[in-house]
Formats: sequence, C-alpha cells, structure tokens
Amino acid sequence: MGRYVVRRLLQMIPVFIGATLLIFLMVNVMGDPIAGLCGDRECDPATAAQLRHEFGLDQPVWQQYATYMGNVFTGDFGTAFNGQPVTELMGTAFPVTIRLTIVAILFEIIVGIVLGVVTGLRRGRPVDTGVLLLTLVVISVPTFVTGLLLQLLLGVKWGWIDPAVSSEAAFGELIVPGLVLASVSLAYVTRLTRTSIAENRRSDYVRTAIAKGLPRHRVITRHLLRNSLIPVVTFIGTDIGALMGGAIVTERIFNIHGVGYQLYQGILRQNTQTVVGFVTVLVLVFLVANLVVDLLYAVLDPRIRYA
Amino acid sequence: MPDQEPYEPERAVAGTGMGGTMDLGASEAVTLEQPPGPDGADPREKPRSLWSDAWHDLRRNPVFIISALVILFLIVISLWPSLIASGSPLKCDLAKAQEGSQPGHPFGFNGQGCDVYTRTVYGARTSVAVGILATLGVAVLGSVLGGLAGFFGGAGDAVLSRITDIFFAIPVVLGGLVLLSVITSNTVWPVIGFIVLLGWPQISRIARGSVITAKQNDYVQAARALGASNSRLLLRHIAPNAVAPVIVVATIALGTYISLEATLSFLGVGLKPPSVSWGIDISSAAPYVRNAPHALLWPSGALAITVLAFIMLGDAVRDALDPKLR
Amino acid sequence: MLLEVRDLHVEFHTRDGVAKAVNGVSYGVDAGETLAVLGESGSGKSVTAQTVMGILDIPPGRVTAGEILFEGRDLLKLKEEERRKVRGAEMAMIFQDALSSLNPVLTVGAQLAEMFTVHRGMSRKDAHAKAVELMDRVRIPAAGERVKQYPHQFSGGMRQRIMIAMAMALEPKLIIADEPTTALDVTVQAQVMDLLAELQRELHMGLILITHDLGVVADVADKIAVMYAGRIVETAPVHDIYKAPAHPYTRGLLESIPRLDQKGQELYAIKGLPPNLTRIPPGCAFHPRCPMARDVCRTDVPPLYDVTESDAGRGSACHFWRECLHG
Repeated sequence: MGRYVVRRLLQMIPVFIGATLLIFLMVNVMGDPIAGLCGDRECDPATAAQLRHEFGLDQPVWQQYATYMGNVFTGDFGTAFNGQPVTELMGTAFPVTIRLTIVAILFEIIVGIVLGVVTGLRRGRPVDTGVLLLTLVVISVPTFVTGLLLQLLLGVKWGWIDPAVSSEAAFGELIVPGLVLASVSLAYVTRLTRTSIAENRRSDYVRTAIAKGLPRHRVITRHLLRNSLIPVVTFIGTDIGALMGGAIVTERIFNIHGVGYQLYQGILRQNTQTVVGFVTVLVLVFLVANLVVDLLYAVLDPRIRYA
Repeated sequence: MPDQEPYEPERAVAGTGMGGTMDLGASEAVTLEQPPGPDGADPREKPRSLWSDAWHDLRRNPVFIISALVILFLIVISLWPSLIASGSPLKCDLAKAQEGSQPGHPFGFNGQGCDVYTRTVYGARTSVAVGILATLGVAVLGSVLGGLAGFFGGAGDAVLSRITDIFFAIPVVLGGLVLLSVITSNTVWPVIGFIVLLGWPQISRIARGSVITAKQNDYVQAARALGASNSRLLLRHIAPNAVAPVIVVATIALGTYISLEATLSFLGVGLKPPSVSWGIDISSAAPYVRNAPHALLWPSGALAITVLAFIMLGDAVRDALDPKLR
Repeated sequence: MLLEVRDLHVEFHTRDGVAKAVNGVSYGVDAGETLAVLGESGSGKSVTAQTVMGILDIPPGRVTAGEILFEGRDLLKLKEEERRKVRGAEMAMIFQDALSSLNPVLTVGAQLAEMFTVHRGMSRKDAHAKAVELMDRVRIPAAGERVKQYPHQFSGGMRQRIMIAMAMALEPKLIIADEPTTALDVTVQAQVMDLLAELQRELHMGLILITHDLGVVADVADKIAVMYAGRIVETAPVHDIYKAPAHPYTRGLLESIPRLDQKGQELYAIKGLPPNLTRIPPGCAFHPRCPMARDVCRTDVPPLYDVTESDAGRGSACHFWRECLHG
C-alpha cells in the first residue's frame, strides 16, 4: 500500500507539470500577457518593454515557466490585473466554489444514488423507463441552458429564489446553482448506479446470499450495494475536480464570485498570473482527488489491496 | 495452495484505474448451464454477427428510429436551410426587437429584431457541422493513436498514457476559454480544432483498451502464430472487433461536442456574431429573458433536441452492441 | 420422503417466446440418500434445483404447475418470509463457481458468520467462533487466520470447501450441489467430493447432486434421474443404469464416456444438439437425435414407463424401453 501511494505520487508529477505547462503555454503564446496590465489603455512601447523585462517575459518560455513554478512553491502566485495578489483572490474565490461543489456532490450522492438503486432494482418497470428518459434529457440539455431555464422559472417567473447569488454565497443560496452544476453528473451517477446494480443483481454471489436465506434488505444493503457502489464512488470522486473546473458556466449564470468568475475575468483581461495560478490549483485538486479515489478503491475492493 | 484463477478487474470508470489496463468490456463468465434467459435463446439456429445482430435490434428500436429521423432532418436543413426558412438570418429590424409571434414569424423576434425562426433554422448548420467534423477528427486521431499504443505497447504506450492523463487534468471549458479567447477567426474551424485537440484522449483511451482486449483473443494469437504481419493483424483481425466501443463513445460524444460549441459561444469565445449559432442566440437572449423568453426558449429547445437525438442514438447503438445489458 | 417434487413446470419469458425449461419433473430424495440429476446444459436440471431452493429469478421465470413437498409442506405455497427461513437453515445449496458465488468484498469469515447471526440470532463474536469451527471442519488449514481473508486469496479447492462449510453451517436436512466439482482441477475434484459425501453421511442429510459427469455419479449416488429438455427420461438405482440403460439418451451418455477397455475405438457421440426450449419437438423431445426413433416417437409424448424388472424404482420415458434395455 505504501509503495503504491509513492508510485502514484511519482506518477502525478509529470501530469502536474504537463498540465500546468500546457496552460502556461496556451496563455502565454496565444495572448499578450501585458496587454491587460495598463488598464484599458494600450501600453506605450517603452512601458511595455519595461514591463516585459520586469516580469521576465523577455526570457524563453520554459524559463518563465520554471520561475513561475518556483514562485508558486514558495506561495507566490503573482498579482492579478487589479494589483491584488492572486492568493488573495483565491482566498475569497475558493471557499465559494468549494461550497458550490459540496452542494453539487451532495446532490450526486443523495439523489443520484437513490434514483440509481431504485431504477436498478426495478429494471424495465415504468419508474425505470421514466427516470432513464429523464437522465437522457438532463445529459442532453447543456448546463448553461438548464441554468438559464431554472433561473427563469424559479427566479424570475415564480420568485422562489434570487436570480443572482449574493457575494456571501451562503449554502442556502447555492442550492439551485449546485443542482445546475451537478445536473449532468447527477444523471451519470444515476445511470452508472443503475447499470451497476442491475449487473450485480444477477451475479452469483447475490444468488448465494439469497440461497443463504438472508432477508431481502440484507441482501441488498450488505451484498449488492457494497459491490455496486464501487464504480459510483470512484466516479463521484473524480468528478470533484471536474465540477470545480466546470463551475465557470454556473457561476457566470448566477453571478457567483467564485473560481470560475475569477478565471473568466482573468482570461478576458489576459492576466497570465491569475489564470495560471487558478488552473494550477485546480489541476492539483483534480490530481489529489484522483489519488484519493484510487486509495478509496483499494479500501472498498479487497482484491486490489492484495493483488 | 496457490490461487489458480486469475483475478479479473471490475469494470472501472475511465480515469480511475489502478495503473493497470482497464478494459471496457470485462470478459463474461460463462457458466455451463444458465436458465434460458433473454439472450441465450437460440444462438445455434441463426448465427448472426455482432453487427447484423445489432442492426436487427436497432431497426425495431423506436428510440433509434426517432433519433435517426431527427438527425436526418437536421442534416438536411443544415445543408439546405432555405428549404424551410425563406428569409436571411442576418436581416434584422431593430424596430421589431423582442416582439412575439406574428404571421410569417412564428417564433417572434429577438433583442436585435432578427427573426428567431430563421436564426434557429440556420443555427442547425453550425451545430451539425461542428458536431460531425469534430467527431470525425477526434475519432480518427484518437483511434489511430490509441489503437497503435494498445497494439505495440512499450514506451510509446506509456508516453501516450501520460499525455492522455495530462489532457484529462485540464477542465474542458476552461481550456476552451483560454485557447479560443484570443482567436479572432470567425469560422467553425478554431472550435473544431480545439475540440479535436482536447477530445482525442477520450477516444484514444477507449481504442487502446479495446485493442488490448481484442489482441488477447485466441484467433488473433493464432493469426500471429501463422505469421500474419502486424498491419494485417491490426486491420483484419483487431480493428473490426475493437471498433464497436469507439463508435458508441464517438456517437455520444458528438452530442456533447455540439453542447460544448454552444457553451463556448455562450461564454463568448466560440463563434462570435455575425455567425449564427444557437449558443450565441441563447447568450444574447439571456439579459432580456424577462421580456422576450421566446428568444431564449426556441434556440435552447432546438439545441436540446439536437444533442438529445445524438445521445439517444449513441445509447441505442450501445445497447444493441452490448448484449450483456439487455 | 424428505423432499418430493411433483409434476413441476417452469417457464421463462424470453424475447423469442416462452422457453419451457421444466416440463413435469417429479423426483424425490430421502434423508441420508443421494440423488444424482444428470443432463446436458439446458436440460432443466439446474432450473429445477433453483426452483426447489426458491432462488429462481421471477420474472423472467415462472412456476406454472407442480408441488415441492419438503417434509410434507408444499414450499410453493409458503409465504416469502417463511420460505426464506427454510433457505440456508433447512436446505442449502452449493454452486459450481465458488469464486463468483462468494462475495468478493467480504471476508469468508463474515460470510460464514452471517448464517448464524441471521438465522440463529447469535452475537457477532459467537458467530465468528462458529465460522472458525466450520472452516476447521472442512479441513482448511490455519482456519483461525484465514477466516479474515477474502475469497480471492484462496485456491479453487479451498473456496469450494468454504462454500460447503457455508451450506453445512446450520446442519440443513437437504443439500443441493449444482456441479460442485466441475470448475475444479481434476486432482482436487475427488477431495472435495469425498468431503461432501463424508459430511452428508455424518449429518444424515439428503443430497441432490446435479452433474453432467457420470464418473462422479457412480461413486457417490444412490439413484439417478436423467433429464432431457425439461423432462426426466430415465430414473433408476445407480448400479442398474450402468448395467443396462433403459433410454437411448442414457445409453448415448454412457457410450460417450471414454473407457480404457475400448482403447483405440472411436468414441461415441450423440448426434445433433439439445433442442431450443422455445420450440421443443413434438412427441418425444429426443426423437430428432435418437437412433431408434420411429413414427410414434414424433407424435406421442412417452410417459415415464415403469420398467421395474429386477428391483423397485425404475422408470424410462421411451416407447421402446424394452428394446433399449435388452438390445
């Protein structure tokens, strides 16, 4: 187990470097990093040259990347377009997005798994067909459409919620945005659970459990669920990173000032430091979540522990 | 006493492997006697191939028929939009902005006074073009790279696996924002290029897995023992058996690519006006949704139906090709 | 009789129509007795056993007629909860593939102990001690430590011993073993079979042994029922059937066993394939494959004729059993 963790940590290094380098290159090569630094005006050539030198932009890209990463590991993520340190932006943005992600994950776990178990146990019945169709519709409607429609209905038409989330972004305000963020994954969790339950239901060990004369609820909870939820847990785990990175759309619709909002602003203003900084953290979150999922997998499935 | 049976890994979600190979279709345990269940009825009487069997099923599947008809209709109107819409999507009259449905303009007008019906019809072209072209690119690039890596293994395979890991670590919408925000070209090509760039690892992983599975089949080993060349093995023996999962995933991905284009256009980095795209129309209708919800609802509905059609098609094809889940 | 199955009919609803898996099967087994049920895949031998156990998947399966009398009670008339209490406690089943039949994510100890906590209301600790005891009894070395291990950590033979231990746990009156040794190495097969037979003698249980292996049958069974297309085609005490089969299908099965004294001769094989259960041939289901088939076989379903000549309890569902027996 210990060796496995070490091996996985070592495997993460090239992926981390590759992903951050890729983003670094995209931001640097594609855009002009100092264009946003003179505010809305065009920088005059002399200032521009000076700024370039100041930020080390006259050096080769790989060297810039190395310098940047060096700084990052000392906790210096650079400055945002408004002169604030990027870390300060992160300090306000990440708690909001983490709350949003927690709400989304809770929806996936509670609603997704319950629907999946119910339909998996009732394959082919009307409930199953109905939920299955619903999941297809949810998967098909792009998140931003779902978001706009819910905002229109619940916020504008019926007035159940405030169409825009306040700057505090408390849990209560994040319920509908969290549902929107979770929607597609929620549908996937439902389908995955359903398939997994339906597959395992026919398995030999479930038949054995029935033949042992165990009560139905025990067959389901102790034998069927435990096995069926292994792939579901791994899916939800890997989804954490994707949800945080995918919050851009949801945050834009509901005007939530989280990670997605800051990233969007950073990209619009071509602020390298903000964008690369936030993406670096997101990539780290993604990688750590994946590692945790893999370890969890080994805990849930003993065959892997000893294999 | 040593363990005799090899351990068989659970079917795992892509991207969560324990470092080993995660094949899409785990081999099925065959018991000597099973109750004659739904699929075991008579394999003996009419031997059918996987494909003809799948086709036999699909023709009877209403989901497949409906989604195929919708897609056919979409392709026809994206090739010849003037068949059902006489006006131009760019002819707008600010005086009519936000007006509702009226004769000749069944869907009303949007915020710029453009006819929503015409724009919705013309929007299909963008979505269908992006969806189909991006999927072709992703499928070709992904299956060639993944197939070769799975077949030859070794260092190339290891490198490719790490590269796919890198791409999986980057959130797609974010990558799109970064890459496309600086591109000024107003055609579908940058969007397609971007989707191919970020989409191929998904297919490559699937193709790699199914080639590895197919490679282990006895008949492939037999062909190899008989001296078949690598290219012959790949093309004649492995590809036909490894292509099914790729097709299924690609069909479903097509729907999500359409959705992705609309999302990027909604965020202002995909296509930009004066291009016609459902994403643009939904985005521009959002601020005044209170007064003119129809300008938001029609393109949203068209988008949802289009994506739904492709995803349901993929779903139906998967069910037909994967008899295990029947 | 401990168990008596009477005229059992089971169907499956499939996409291709109704598959008649069991068509009027009757057999019985006494305490301490071993009944071997023989037949190819699809003959209905496993479906019958699953119906007796009450673990048939309903749907697609459906019992359309018949009685299953267990100590005089018709199990088919019991409520599900009463039926459940019979399973595992009064009758238990051993499956072919122990690896897939044991839960991969629970320790074998937990799976054994479960029998005692659920059926006997024992505490976890007592149940755990019982589990170790059971593993000892089926001769698994170092039971005290291995009880904490998972199924995949055991060899095939050891796993099947655990299945047997699980079945014996509550000392049931009847054991149904569905091809218990088929998935095992030949060398291990005999050990596992011996263990099963030994425990059966010790606990004086009825045993229904489902198999397609005539070699296993000869050693342990008291009587045999041969099934084909969901019917019993021949039933007899074990030595009689080897001496002289009274049904051409049984004869075909016997002749297809390789024998040392026939070295060099071509091995006999029954021509054709078992029928599709959605379209069982009219008349005698075996007639398309039967070397003795005549016109009457294509039209009339043969009843199970009483062919008792020497001693009691022989039956054959062949119109020409006499010819078969003496020819």
